[in-house]
This record gives sequence, C-alpha cells and structure tokens, in this order.
Amino acid sequence: MSSTPHFRTFFYLVLASFFFNWLFLVVWPWTNLGHQAPIQDEGSTDITPWAISGAAHAGEEVYAANGCVYCHTQQVRADSSGADIIRGWGTATDLSDDKKQVTRRSYPRDYIWQHEVFLGNSRNGADLSNVAQRFPDAATLYRYLYDPYILNPHSSMPAYRFLFVRQKISGQRSVDALDLAGDDAPPAGYEVVPTAEAKSLVAYLLSLQKGYHLPDEKGPVPATPSNKS
Amino acid sequence: MATSSSSAIANKGFASTDPELAAIDASVRWPVLFSFLTSIHWMVVGTILLVYASSLTHPQETIPGLSLFVNLSEQCSFFTYGRVFPAAVDALVYGWATTVGLGLAVWLLARTCRTTVFAPTTLMTGVIFWNIGIALGLTGIFLGDSSSVELLEFPAYSTWVLWIAYTLFAIPLFGTYLGRKPGGDHLAQSWLLVALLAFPWLFATGTTLLGYRLLSPTLSAAGLPSSSWTGSLPGSGVMQGLLDAWYVHGILTLWLAPLGLGLLYYLVPKLSGLSIRFGSKAQVAFWTWVVLAPWTAVHDMVGGPFPADTVTIGLIFSGLIFIPVAFIGMNLVGTAWAGEEKQGHHGGVVLPFLSLAAVVFVAAGISEEILSIRSANQLLRFTMFRECNIFLWVYGFFSFTAFGGMYYIVPRLLDFGWRSALLIKAHYYASLYGILLVLAMLGFGGVMQGLTLENTDTHVTIVNANDVALSFYIAATMCVGLISIGSGIFALHLGWMVLDWLRIQIRGSRLASEILLEPYEGTVPAKSSEEVSA
Repeated sequence: MSSTPHFRTFFYLVLASFFFNWLFLVVWPWTNLGHQAPIQDEGSTDITPWAISGAAHAGEEVYAANGCVYCHTQQVRADSSGADIIRGWGTATDLSDDKKQVTRRSYPRDYIWQHEVFLGNSRNGADLSNVAQRFPDAATLYRYLYDPYILNPHSSMPAYRFLFVRQKISGQRSVDALDLAGDDAPPAGYEVVPTAEAKSLVAYLLSLQKGYHLPDEKGPVPATPSNKS
Repeated sequence: MATSSSSAIANKGFASTDPELAAIDASVRWPVLFSFLTSIHWMVVGTILLVYASSLTHPQETIPGLSLFVNLSEQCSFFTYGRVFPAAVDALVYGWATTVGLGLAVWLLARTCRTTVFAPTTLMTGVIFWNIGIALGLTGIFLGDSSSVELLEFPAYSTWVLWIAYTLFAIPLFGTYLGRKPGGDHLAQSWLLVALLAFPWLFATGTTLLGYRLLSPTLSAAGLPSSSWTGSLPGSGVMQGLLDAWYVHGILTLWLAPLGLGLLYYLVPKLSGLSIRFGSKAQVAFWTWVVLAPWTAVHDMVGGPFPADTVTIGLIFSGLIFIPVAFIGMNLVGTAWAGEEKQGHHGGVVLPFLSLAAVVFVAAGISEEILSIRSANQLLRFTMFRECNIFLWVYGFFSFTAFGGMYYIVPRLLDFGWRSALLIKAHYYASLYGILLVLAMLGFGGVMQGLTLENTDTHVTIVNANDVALSFYIAATMCVGLISIGSGIFALHLGWMVLDWLRIQIRGSRLASEILLEPYEGTVPAKSSEEVSA
C-alpha cells in the first residue's frame, strides 16, 4: 500500500507528534512550575507558604486512601473563570493579621509543600482549599467526619465511622472523646475517640488555609526568587 | 469448505472461508479468548461496584435495603465510597476495556498482517500477568493503598506487574507486525501501533508521578532541606495535577480510542460490504487525531493553578479536534449506515453494535469540543458532565466496539456459533437504552449542576447544587443498572457458548441448535478490507 508510510517513517512521525504534545504540555510547564520556592519575607525568617507538619503529611495519605478527592476539589479559580470566589471558597483569615481577610485564587506556589496534591475534578462536595477556615477546631471536624448530618442536615457526605473507635471509659474520659448526642451517643460508660488516622486526617484538613498573600497575585514571578541570588 | 492447514479445524461455517485467515484466527485463539473471558469478568465486577458506589450517594429512603449498604460503608473502610468508586472505574478502564482491547489488538494485528501471531505463549503469559496486576491493584485500593490520582490509583506493587504484562504483550505484537506478509498493510494497523506506542509513554510518565509521591516522604524524613529538592524532581506540586490530566486524557484518546478505531476501520467495511466512504480522508483523520487528541488534557486545567499560556494554547489545539472527529464520523458512520441500508435488517448482528460505536465516537468528540470552549468548560468543569465524557469513551464508544468485535471474532476463533439470537437482541437494547439514558442524564444533569455551582448569587451553596444533582444521579444509577443487565446477559451468553463448545470438544458431537450467526465473508466482495487504506 503506497498510502501507508514505511514503518520507520511512520514510527518517527508518531513519536514526533507525541513528543510535541509532551514537550509543550508536560516538560515546558515543569520548567516553570517545578522549581518554585517559598517566598522569604524581607528582614525576617518567615516564609510563605509555610511548611506543613509531619502529622498533616500523614493525613495526606489518609485523604488519598479514602478517596476524598473524588468529591472535593482543592483549587480556587479566579473570579474571571468561575464562581469559586462567590461561593466563598477563596476566603481565609489573614495569618499575619487576624482582623483581615484574604480572598484570592489558588496559585501553583500554594502547593509546593504538599507531597500529594489533590486538585480534584469533581464538586459533589465543597472545595477544601480553605476548609480549616470553616471549622473552628479539631473537635468540630471530628464530629463532622463521624456524622456529617449533625452539622449539615443536607450533606451528601458519607460518614467515616471507621476512623473512630468506641471504647470503655477507664478512669477519666479521653480528651479527644467526641461530644455526641441523640442516636450517635455511645452507651453510658463508653466514649467515641478518633483513631490515629482520623487525627492525622484532621491535622491535614486544618492545615488547608491560604490566609496569606503571594507575589504571584501581582503577576508572574521568576521561578527562582530574587532573595536567593 | 476450506480447512486450515496448521490447526486442522473443520470449518463448520463459522470460521473464515479464507484458509489463510482461518489459520491466523486459530493461532491467536487461546490468548484472545482468554483476554475476552477475563475482561468480561472485570466488566461484571466493575459494573457491580459502580452501581454500589453510586447508590451510596443517594438518600437512604430511595432504595429499599440501601441503608444496609450505607451502614456497611460507614463502619468498614473497605466499602467507603472513596475506595469503591475508583476501584469500579479502574476495573472498567483497565480490567475491562484494556484487557479486551489487548485481545482485539492481537487478533486484528495478526489478521491485517496476514501472518500467524509471533510467540502466542508469551501473549498468554501477558494476559495472565495483566490480570494478576489488576487484581492486585484493586485489592490495594480496597486496602487503602490507593494513590487517589485519577486512573493511576493502583498502588506501586501492582504497577510493576502491569509493566511486565504489557512488555509480554508488546514484544510479540511488534514481532508480528515486523513479520507481516507483503501486502499486509492496513490503515487499522496505524491505529493499533499508535495505541501500542502511546501506552508505555503515558504509563511511564504516570509512574514517574507516582514515584515522586513514594520518594518525597522518604527524602523529607532523611532530613534533606526541602527547597533543595522539592522542585527539582518531576511530579512536585501542581505538576501532579497536570501530569494526571495528561495521563487520563491520553488513556482515553491515545489508547482506548485508537484501539477501538482500528477495529472499526477493519470491520465496518468488511461487514457492510462497502469500501470506506470518503476513504481519502482516513489518513488525514488519523494524523490530525494523533496530533490534536492529547491536547484535550487541558480540559482539566482551565482556571486552575497552571500556567495560563499552556491552557490557552491547549484549548486552541483541542478545539481543532472537530477536524478528525468529522472525518472519522464521515468514514465510519457513513459506511456503517450505508451498509445497514444495503443489507436490511440492520445488517445482521455485529454491524448495529459497530455503527452505534461510531455514532458514540462522534458524540464523545462533540463533548470534547464542548469542553474546549472556555466558557462551557468553566460551567461544566467540576460537574457530572465530566463523568459523562469519560463514560462516553469507556462505556459508550469502546464497549460497543468491543461487543461488536467479540460477536464477530469469537465464532471465528472457535468455529462455533452464538447460542441465542434473543440474548444478543436483549444485550443490544439494554446497552443501547442504558447508555443513551446515562449520557442524557449525566450530560443534562451536568449542565444543571453547573448552572447552580457557577451561580453568581452569593446565597447559593454547594447544598443547592447537590439537590439539583441528586435526582440526575439517581436516574443515572438506574440506567447503569440497565447496562449492567445487558452486560450480565452478554457474560452469561459468552459463558454458555464456551461451555457448549467445550462439551462438543469433549464429546466430539454437534449440538442441534448451533447455527445462529451468518458468516459474513461470503457476502463481502473479496479484498474489501484492503480498499480501506486506499
């Protein structure tokens, strides 16, 4: 068949078209995104975004194991590309001044400390970029994971009771024990406490808070920050 | 009746009348049949898991007995939505579509190269390893080793098995291709080769991403200062999202789509007895598809934390995808419909499946085109429309191609007919209406969900969007139930056929009700398949 090119020509053409796409869609963005460092504040040792605790890193694995990403995104699009800011998902309290609010989209630099990044593609649940903002403390978040209906009767989130254990109270009640009422309350003499997995998951969720400004908001920043040179 | 030389099967009217083709079919019998049977098994597993996962998202009152499953998912981590859903999708994409795709590729490559397959035992070992890999991967997901990277959830230990399995497949296939007989060239081969070359490229990039995830905690624990290595490894930060988008769309458009299209370009002209309509555009369609299709990856990046220029360029390229989609549609839908008209009665049993597959291909192309429009993408980006898009490729286009292919191929492998015309009809209509309804529900539901999610009224919350989405999800679950009935019928039918065939092999006698599918080769002008590549 004259219309089918020889195998070698065909092979090189196919590789070239793959390479073209791979170069522009994978390699080129990597040269831009792959070397981002935190920004160091002038005259101080503070960096933004700041590093994540070891417990939060362990929480990333729990988040991955239980597939939270199939319903929750972790990316806030700019005002011009969606209603994420209007939904309130881009708002957080300023970490340096708790009277101020930071409302902004997500930037690649927000994710540099995470080992496992969960941008997500489905919003059956709310965006979690600033989820720590919506829960005052770990206890509330534990209760929400144990039974989402307590705090939000319309929630379609499944309950994650396997992240908790019911145990007999020996001596004093555990400090982590959940305050449960109604159907959820354990029998007298028992308490419901979070497992290690639940604790690291909650540590991770409470680390999701982007209450800081980045120089990226004013336009592209050179991949290597100037304070390094 | 022609008799093949090597395997000496007596042609009872089901094997190819061309002795050369009959011998080729016989040479690939075991690996192809084994891949078909195991893929059907994964399809059943995946569909059951999918129905279970999607029923978990419904209010417990809607389905009697559902509260039992919901309780199970709350108490036992194995059965939580976030594990069952990815397991279902992976079982369908890798267990079902990829396994059957490899079987189809073996058969098609051997046939179009006009040579018996090179090292069939290696292929058989490949199928076995592939299935072990899938089983390990799914078990890993249930045990909580999932990486939660879309379509790359399988834990690392199963990824190695899949690599070995793919290598065992690829070597005999390329060997077969290189040993092809003079004149053994066919456009279908180009599609197959693209798929076979794309898969290792995609999988290698995906594995790099997973490798980073495995490595980074270790490096971090070793006390290396983060800034010195964070960015220097591929797969850090948002690159994970980007690589995953590239991988997912690559698997759909450069792996599954070319495998299916290869089969369609071979079978549609053969079954309709016509040469490909607008055949001169087939080469253009091929090359434009290979260049443009992988750019659909940016559909998952619009508005996200990615370089804006990459997204803009990507949207332009992926927006041009209408060119190959239109040409391929003209080629395949045009030929299939003309063939159905010519032959009457929808052109037999196989052609309806293939012509439906061609139509769904165009529908999938249109959905990619819709997502290439920036404003439409913003509306639909995080809704069930995206599920609809993936569903179109895997359950719609690819499954119909594979069903049609299996209805054609299995009788030729075994020289034995399907058992019941009624079951084939039931399978066809259950799948047809199931898939069309799912697509309508998820497509329209996606628009409605998007209109709520992207509402500019600040009082609208995620709860409102969920309320809108819920009814569509419930309807979609019921339609998936319908598809699963069709798939179950097919699985039982294939099992029945193989068992009867085995019984005959053992007893050496014939069953009375054997002949059901007309052998097509007799009705087709000779050399019709070669006209395709012209």
